[in-house]
Amino acid sequence: MVAAAFFLHAYQPYQKLKTFFYNFLENPHYQYKKYFDFFMMGLIFLSVYILIYSVKNELSNQWLVFNNYAISLIFLTEYFLRIWIYSDNSKIIIDQYEHDLFMHRSFSSTVALKAIIKQKIKFMTSPMAIVDVLAIMPFFHEFRIFRIFVLFRVLKLFRYAKSLRRLISILSSKKFEILTLAVFAAIMIMISSVLIYVMEANNLESKINTLPDALYWSVVTIFTVGYGDIVPVTSEGRAVAMLIIVSGIAVISVATSIVVSAFTEKLDEIKTERLIDEVSRLERFYLICGYSALTHEVIRKLHKRDLPIVVLEKDLALVAVARAQGFLALEYDSASLETYHTVKIHFEKQVEAIILLHESDVLNIYAALTIRELTKTIPLFSILHSIENRKKLTLAGIHSIVNTHELVGLMSKIISSQPVAFDVMHALRSEETPTVIDEVRLDIGMEEKFYELLHEPLFYKRLSVLGIYKFSTQAFLFNPSQLEGIEVGDVAIIVANRSLINEFRTKLHRRVRR
Amino acid sequence: MKQTCAAVFGYNSYSKEVIKNIKDNYDNIGIFVLSDEELVLAHHDGLMAEKFDLSDDWKSIEERFDVEALVVFCTLKDDAQNVFLIISLRSIFDKLSIVALAQNNESMLKVKSAGANKVMPILQIAASVIGDILVKPIVTSVLHDVLYEDSDLSIMEMIVSSSSALCGTHLYDTHFKRDFDVVLLAIVDHEMGATFSFASHGHNHHIDTGDVLVAIGYKEKLEHLKRYAQGEIS
Repeated sequence: MVAAAFFLHAYQPYQKLKTFFYNFLENPHYQYKKYFDFFMMGLIFLSVYILIYSVKNELSNQWLVFNNYAISLIFLTEYFLRIWIYSDNSKIIIDQYEHDLFMHRSFSSTVALKAIIKQKIKFMTSPMAIVDVLAIMPFFHEFRIFRIFVLFRVLKLFRYAKSLRRLISILSSKKFEILTLAVFAAIMIMISSVLIYVMEANNLESKINTLPDALYWSVVTIFTVGYGDIVPVTSEGRAVAMLIIVSGIAVISVATSIVVSAFTEKLDEIKTERLIDEVSRLERFYLICGYSALTHEVIRKLHKRDLPIVVLEKDLALVAVARAQGFLALEYDSASLETYHTVKIHFEKQVEAIILLHESDVLNIYAALTIRELTKTIPLFSILHSIENRKKLTLAGIHSIVNTHELVGLMSKIISSQPVAFDVMHALRSEETPTVIDEVRLDIGMEEKFYELLHEPLFYKRLSVLGIYKFSTQAFLFNPSQLEGIEVGDVAIIVANRSLINEFRTKLHRRVRR
Repeated sequence: MKQTCAAVFGYNSYSKEVIKNIKDNYDNIGIFVLSDEELVLAHHDGLMAEKFDLSDDWKSIEERFDVEALVVFCTLKDDAQNVFLIISLRSIFDKLSIVALAQNNESMLKVKSAGANKVMPILQIAASVIGDILVKPIVTSVLHDVLYEDSDLSIMEMIVSSSSALCGTHLYDTHFKRDFDVVLLAIVDHEMGATFSFASHGHNHHIDTGDVLVAIGYKEKLEHLKRYAQGEIS
């Protein structure tokens, strides 16, 4: 038994298969799970439709077989798979074996088996597993009663629809209040049923002749429906009715307030969950750690890139400010590993770059080290507040550091020596004038067409190539002549009107395609 | 008139960087501080500083500097004080060249309205550089080298003199890239106003005496063009 457990535990195909089914059935972040969920929901709705259709119509044999056997078998397979993946039997056996070995005892297979059975029973007695079993019942359709079990399949929707699961979790947070209210309503119904029966049963004009009649009337009245098919006729009965109507209003109000308060309390949690979902759906984004006035400006600048931006900020007030500005901000500490596990960011796949904009170098370094524990490759940028901390930021793995003091100093230098040149460069970089400086990446085939296109009248003298950044040597080739070859991957730096650069790009692509 | 002296108002981390970077460009630099604390700090760093207040007494400036050759850097920590300083200076010296810091865009507008000739909005500069590094990393790196680093490539502005062969020609008559190995970025055409226009804008400017050309290139090539623009060579 132990040997088999060790074998299964180390047998990759088995473990892979189990992980695959786990992801497929239980992992909400697995990309294909939603297709499985949609398929199962489709089966449920089809099953209910068949039930409704069969009330007044004859079903063909194929449909009956499909509904009673095929769907039930799919549900049965799903049920067994869920039992299988719920716990790892081989691990339970190995743990028990190692525990016994450590304690110098002989391995107790009974204890291990008990632990396995205990785990499986725990799953089978869970509410959703019971619903799973009930949904399989229509398989035994020869027993007429089992046909209505098709309706239990609807309850399986709770498994596949996230919003329904959320509703249950919200209401379950008010379990005690709901239970108290239910007990109060039950006692009121019981008292009023008995009272109305006592008051009305012997009156010939009254329609309340039995205790079930009295119970029916009580339920209809306490929940303020009041069909009016049964009404008390005696004065005593009417007094009971008044009492139960008042109680009914109390029951409805308390029930409403419980649901409303449950939703209000969970509102922030729901919003955060929704935002996390939104982030996980993003294909590519910039991650900014820390929200400040600088963050706001950086986001404004990056918005031109059309790439989403996600902000992590632990201060709730700042998160509120960011959200009010329409930014996707999450209330999480960027320096905590827990954050990245909760938010489930896939660095390599989703994050274009991380920008650290906390208002303290200490926080930026701490966040950088946290991020570097998770990924070594993501480009990391940071603002530097105090020049003496530059080396510390570099040691923390930050690629590029921006210090406002140094920038101001360098700008002062150029302003004092070449004020017009400063204005020209500032205008080019600010992108506030029609003339801009931009990069044109040269793909396959463009190397031949590049100079040819430059000499066309539309671009000649109006599109100025500052230089070519050589991909192979990582060097900048200023004012290149046509004799200097261009290679794939090189980047041309061009100064021209924005529309003209776009036109140049389009024409270059078109020429290459031709 | 060429500015040969500078006055830096304030002594803080920004002022220090400004002083460090401009000290080679001026013959005479004065530091003026508001508080004793700043005064002690400047002295501690081996710099001579003078105290000033925000009243209208600018005798020390007039006595120490030729105001027409003076550039003032307003780097006070507090934006409100900076604006008050600029407006005070402007009210007395209407031709003074004033460069000022502003913490953000909002302050930048006030600083401009107060009369600063050039404003450096700190937040916007930082955001702009971060954005550029992310969006256009190569352009940013090249421009940074051209502007701020001691690389072979440089940017230069040059005034066209009456004896230059360029004078009286049109912008497109000269092939700057081929003949001078420089990229002409912009021109300040005095016929069309005091502000610059980009060479690639499409307007074939008539080059006159006093126009300013702004070009990028290797230092020796730029020097060659400068001498050509000033009529030293033909």
